[in-house]
Amino acid sequence: MTIPSADQVRLAMATALGVSEKRMPADADLAELVSDSYRLVEMAIELQDDFDVILSQADLNGVTTVGDLVEVIRTRSAQD
Amino acid sequence: MIGEPGPDADPQASTTAPLGDDERWVLSYYRTSEINGSLFFGRLARTLRPSPIQHDLTRHFADEALHAWYWTDCLDRLGTRPVKLSDAYQDQYLEAAGLPVNLMEIMAITLVFERRVINQYAKHLALLGVRPEVRDTIDRIMADERCHVAWVKEALEGMHDKFGAATVAETLQRYRQADREVYARTLAEHEDRLRFLHPPPDDEKGSRT
Repeated sequence: MTIPSADQVRLAMATALGVSEKRMPADADLAELVSDSYRLVEMAIELQDDFDVILSQADLNGVTTVGDLVEVIRTRSAQD
Repeated sequence: MIGEPGPDADPQASTTAPLGDDERWVLSYYRTSEINGSLFFGRLARTLRPSPIQHDLTRHFADEALHAWYWTDCLDRLGTRPVKLSDAYQDQYLEAAGLPVNLMEIMAITLVFERRVINQYAKHLALLGVRPEVRDTIDRIMADERCHVAWVKEALEGMHDKFGAATVAETLQRYRQADREVYARTLAEHEDRLRFLHPPPDDEKGSRT
């Protein structure tokens, strides 16, 4: 399994959310980027499809920034 | 989805009496829950890649939207309009259970929720004096809900290999616990609105199948 780069994950997140990648610095607050909680679910589903990983509810505990989620995806990619 | 019968219910109330504020509120609450379910499944159907689950979920979305229409029409036939409600059962649900983030978790929370819906509508049908318009609406919805439970259950069973049977079971258990908490809290919160519901005597309950 190839581990995606942080930029690849951020690009996928930006695409899923329909926002510019420029709005996705590592320290950006996810809550400010998603319009509602359902949008977060949609993005999680799309990221799992894009990178062929499985996320669980527990994986997102403590995830608050773009960088946090990027690291979760990259870590999962290394494991799955 | 709410509704244990209130202790002060008036057993003489007629099914032809004008719709009271509380009954109107409950039917509107059902309608809002169906709308929220439809919106959730619609967004998922839009997000998922082509697959059997996408196919069934799109149907599920359409059914929930239709159910919202059934309740809207039911209220109209009863000579009233829906109460505008900003909050639905699902909102509290996600708050208590947490956001599902993979398809297995989504199917698990959906299965638990659909069973709650069936249980709630069955309780409503078992009450005394259910109006024909309400009974007809619930009957139509219940037929779909049973199909929903069947397809979601099958989809979950198909995920055992990918997620592990134990993980699926644990997830279901977690959502069932959250469901019980939210249902109890919802009943307590809306206790005053549920007094119009009339429980049938025990012997009559037993004759309804």
